[in-house]
Amino acid sequence: MAFKFKGYGGKIIRVDLGREKTVSQPLSSDMAKKFLGGNGFVTKILWDEVKPGLDPFDPENRLIFAIGPLSGTGWPQAGRFEVGAKSPLTGIYGDASCCGHWASELKFAGYDAIVFQGRASKPVYLWVDDDKVELKDAKDVWGKTTSETEKILREQHGKDVQVASCGPAGENLVRFAGILHQRRAAARSGIGAVMGSKKLKAVAVHGSKDVALADPEGFYKFSREIIELYKRDKFIESRAKYGTPILVELMNEIARWPVKNFQTGYTPHAKEIGGERIREEYRIKDRASFGCWARCEKPLMVKQGPYRRIYAKQPEYESLSALGARNWIHNLDVIIYANELCDEYGMDTISTGGTISWAIECYEKGIITKEDTGGLILSWGNTETLIELINKIAKREGFGNLLAEGSLRASKKIGKGSEKYVMHVKGMEIAAQDGRAQKSMGLAHATSSRGADHLKAFPLLDEVVMNEYIVARYGREYLPEMANRLDIKHKPFEVKDGEELCALCDSLLLCKSAGTSLPLFTGAVYYPEMAKAVKLATGMNIDASGMRTIGERIVNLQRAFNIREGISRKDDTLPSRFTEEPAPEGPPKGHVVELEQLLDEYYKLRGWDKETGLIPRKKLEALDLKDVADSLEAMGKLPR
Amino acid sequence: MVVKKILYADPLECCGCRNCEIACSVAKEGIMNPHKSRIRVVREGPVIDMPIACRQCADPPCAKPCPTNALVKENDLVVLYEENCIGCGLCVEECPFGAIFIHPDKGTAIKCDQCGECLDFCPTGALKLVSTEAVAHEKRIDLAQTRVKVIEEWLLNSKDMAEK
Repeated sequence: MAFKFKGYGGKIIRVDLGREKTVSQPLSSDMAKKFLGGNGFVTKILWDEVKPGLDPFDPENRLIFAIGPLSGTGWPQAGRFEVGAKSPLTGIYGDASCCGHWASELKFAGYDAIVFQGRASKPVYLWVDDDKVELKDAKDVWGKTTSETEKILREQHGKDVQVASCGPAGENLVRFAGILHQRRAAARSGIGAVMGSKKLKAVAVHGSKDVALADPEGFYKFSREIIELYKRDKFIESRAKYGTPILVELMNEIARWPVKNFQTGYTPHAKEIGGERIREEYRIKDRASFGCWARCEKPLMVKQGPYRRIYAKQPEYESLSALGARNWIHNLDVIIYANELCDEYGMDTISTGGTISWAIECYEKGIITKEDTGGLILSWGNTETLIELINKIAKREGFGNLLAEGSLRASKKIGKGSEKYVMHVKGMEIAAQDGRAQKSMGLAHATSSRGADHLKAFPLLDEVVMNEYIVARYGREYLPEMANRLDIKHKPFEVKDGEELCALCDSLLLCKSAGTSLPLFTGAVYYPEMAKAVKLATGMNIDASGMRTIGERIVNLQRAFNIREGISRKDDTLPSRFTEEPAPEGPPKGHVVELEQLLDEYYKLRGWDKETGLIPRKKLEALDLKDVADSLEAMGKLPR
Repeated sequence: MVVKKILYADPLECCGCRNCEIACSVAKEGIMNPHKSRIRVVREGPVIDMPIACRQCADPPCAKPCPTNALVKENDLVVLYEENCIGCGLCVEECPFGAIFIHPDKGTAIKCDQCGECLDFCPTGALKLVSTEAVAHEKRIDLAQTRVKVIEEWLLNSKDMAEK
């Protein structure tokens, strides 16, 4: 029987790797209505099926690939797919998303999600060709890098096949390994290591079915209206021209740019690794994901020197920080090569660079010595060591074996006060935002469901002066304080609101960097527009406030998952560098993140318990999560 | 005079977003299915993206083996008479570009008729419906421009010229 709502494939593939069984199940229409897709599905399945306390490398952990009702329709900027699992890096909820052409292909094959459980007895990959779903022997691709894997599987199954795979880092259980597809990465949370632990190398997909919609005519008319907005959007124009690297110099100017493991937020060398230089001297062309208008991917060419060759993509803003300035490296050729290595091995650049910069600071302070590193001398700006460490981490060789555990675990093994220099939240290395320079980002890192992360709330309205957009989205009464990134007023509200919107974006698989959040500033694509698109695509009658509720429901269920794993207010924290050491220079000079004040207000707005950060029954029931309240109550995890 | 036009995109300008496939499928079929788009984007290696559609050949090899005269050269287009097509696929074998293929539901041939619907959906402006003369003209200019740099450099470095 056809699925109740259009836009969906209407089916989920279940794969039991231990028993080598695959089943195609109908999607539950209740799940579609309450969670839409993407990270909504991931969250719901993890909550239902992953028991608290489970080791993330246990075969019973789930690895979930999920897309949404707009995937494959051609809706602009909806080319992403979500992957989730209990994270081996943080031990809590973990997810990451990735753009490209895999998500649309899965929709053309007629599915909304693939759920893996168990562990294969020997390496395998999944081959999905419309109704045919098979586990195949992965002996030809196991041990291969991500681009080699894609090449081999495309030669085997046809050039229009789309492949997502883990690299050697995932196979070697590097705790921050990611999953790659056409050089885009679902990087964070160590989901690639979960994939490796299951002996699953890749998921190759080919589809040829129609994407049936409830009101195709209305949908494509509306989609065209939104495309016209995107064509004129100045933020999309900037993404198209430069991609994310254009932010390097901008963020350096406001001293929010992590330098030397966040010792400061400013470097005089930003220009050397900034977007203008990459465009002028390295860029070859633009590349884009399915239905994308921002085309932020830029294949590059290093024209001379030891790294001379063509590279499939430019390092993103985050990677320029993590592999570059954070280690005091401003040699663009080296950063481009290091970025390529991380992609080929399948490792998150943020955690890779973050962990290395922690080690360098500890070495500088005499906490880590040559004996720990096996003779390697660590120092700021040492390009050879950076490359060597990336190789060693991916292969878990020598000192790399320790760093492959992530900075928090590594510091626990080293001890001697090294813990103080771990720039993490809940075990996740902090992305390229110094919260002292933008207070909303500090709070966002502390509360994000996957540990330190900017994309779960993505507070942008206070980044640089955005008064007109604050007025468009929230109203004049939020000025002038909301626009001031160093003023904590309205920031908890901005973060809470952002978390709901981002959860919704991740359930519809919309791009936050270019497609949704940026035009959001101008009020162009917001809850009403998303509600309208979903209604025209699926026939589901959910209004704008219903959309917001879905976002809020996903945020709360992710929190409930984390509460079940033992998370409470004590974990919603930041390194003491952000809360005790004042920013040393630039506009935020003298500032710390006033985290406790921000959190008090945030919990109040969320309707969570201020003392513990737990979720009251009333809140869960209002979000139609009564069963979640019952489970938490049975564990004694509701606030008293 | 026949002004032959082709759907043309420089592979270094095309970003591979496949918005043209979406536009085509929606315009012709009312829904999205890449296998029903008359224009298909091939992505190869780190830098090559190429939209491929019927080139409206002057002497179309696809029409020659057609047993039912479903493919006819009319003015500057190769016109497909769907009602005549029996779905034998001989045209698919003969087209050197993979630009004509079989509709997955109907079982008969489909190909680009140069309606131009896709053009407005190309984010980079790479996709153009242009005369072959315009393409050739652009190539000539490209060639001349690459020579300009070399020759200017030569002039600046040439002592003889400076003395003159």
